[in-house]
Amino acid sequence: MDTGMRNRQISNAYYNVGLEKAKERDLTGAVQVLKKSLRFHKYQTDARNLLGLVYHELGEVGAALAQWIISLNLQEENNLAEGYLKALQNSPGYLDMADQAAKKYNQSLNYARNENEDLAVLLLMRMVEEMPNYVKAQQLLALLYMHHEDYTKAGRCLFQAMKVDRYNPLTQRYMTIAKANTGKAEVEKRKLKNAFSHRQMQDDDIILPPSYKENTGLQSVLNILAGLVMGVVVVFFLVTPTIRDSIVSRYEEEIRQGLELVNQKSLQIDELNRKLEDASEAQQEAESSLETMVNDSGSVISQYQRLAQILQAYRSEDMRTAAQLYVETDFSVLTDGVLDEIGSWVQQDMAANGYPVLEQMGDEAAARGNTDQAVDYYQKSLQINGGNIGAIFKIGMAYKNAGNVDQANEFFGEIIMNHPDSEYAAQAKEQRGF
Amino acid sequence: MLDFEEELKNFQPSMEIGNVEDAIGREDLTDMTDLMVELLNNK
Repeated sequence: MDTGMRNRQISNAYYNVGLEKAKERDLTGAVQVLKKSLRFHKYQTDARNLLGLVYHELGEVGAALAQWIISLNLQEENNLAEGYLKALQNSPGYLDMADQAAKKYNQSLNYARNENEDLAVLLLMRMVEEMPNYVKAQQLLALLYMHHEDYTKAGRCLFQAMKVDRYNPLTQRYMTIAKANTGKAEVEKRKLKNAFSHRQMQDDDIILPPSYKENTGLQSVLNILAGLVMGVVVVFFLVTPTIRDSIVSRYEEEIRQGLELVNQKSLQIDELNRKLEDASEAQQEAESSLETMVNDSGSVISQYQRLAQILQAYRSEDMRTAAQLYVETDFSVLTDGVLDEIGSWVQQDMAANGYPVLEQMGDEAAARGNTDQAVDYYQKSLQINGGNIGAIFKIGMAYKNAGNVDQANEFFGEIIMNHPDSEYAAQAKEQRGF
Repeated sequence: MLDFEEELKNFQPSMEIGNVEDAIGREDLTDMTDLMVELLNNK
């Protein structure tokens, strides 16, 4: 037999067992065998859909959704999962309620693990009223009650759990413990029997009639007084505690509701604080970026400002200012689509006409004897046109005229070594002396 | 009779609706057929 077919057969067999268990309300057992069915054949759509149904019945709506979505992905046509998903989506508020239930359960579990058992109980109590078939929640609440030795309440929770999932081992174990601690009173009551025994009358037994006594006035007064005292005692010991308990119970209920509201608000506040923190961080980051953009001299905005100044200089036919600004501008960050063309035009014009202007400015500074300024202008000219050997030679001459022979020889050496064929090579040798 | 801390270990968190997507992504859909194909390919 084909292995694939065998796997499908095994899968089908497990599915059938799972279906029977689900019908008998052995939902825990059903989950186990349905998972096995899917292990043998993941396309066993009925098994997956049934698994989702079982999870849904157990109150695990998230797990149910996951199985149905996977089912629909594996088989898009003729799939009951589509109907199940639509049914959930079309029930107003149901998914939200289920989500809240899961969140509360998880929060309660967290509280219980961190010794906040009272809060755990408060959360679970309200939640199981809305979703009594949420088996895990009923079990956890029962455990908490049993930890506080309230076995009667634990028993009620376990009873609800058993109505949904009859043979759950954990529920059965807890129920045994709860019964063991609550059943004794009833057992003792049942075992209490009438202690009076009846003996057989003998022939010589005399039956004494009940004696009749006349009630005197004093006795009547005493009887009334006794009645009054009894009445006061009954009120004091029976009625008053009941009333007090009722009041306390009412206040306890109000306190419980108040605590739950506080807890809900506390959860909301935590969530809002977290969102506020995230928003504050994002705001700080944005402000920091903006500050960098605005204030940093190398920043994008500064470069756009310089470009605007260059254009203004062009408009005023002030080529000198335009050229000086140009060498201080980082055109690589100016990537705006609209300004690309303008930036490109400026670069081309400067490459042709900008560097001679700066060289001219350098000549004028050198003639004035201002070596530093002359060198600066020549360097800027070289920034635009690195192949301007003349500018290099003039830098050397400027240093030499200023008496800085070492610096001058560096630039002469540059021409001699790297541009030996240029018109300035011979002059550079002459100036350097070797 | 009941060790509370030990019993708490029997309880696992529930899947919240918001985590369904992640859970689906993590779901292991390997079945016996996939395993056999893998074994055959490795041979």
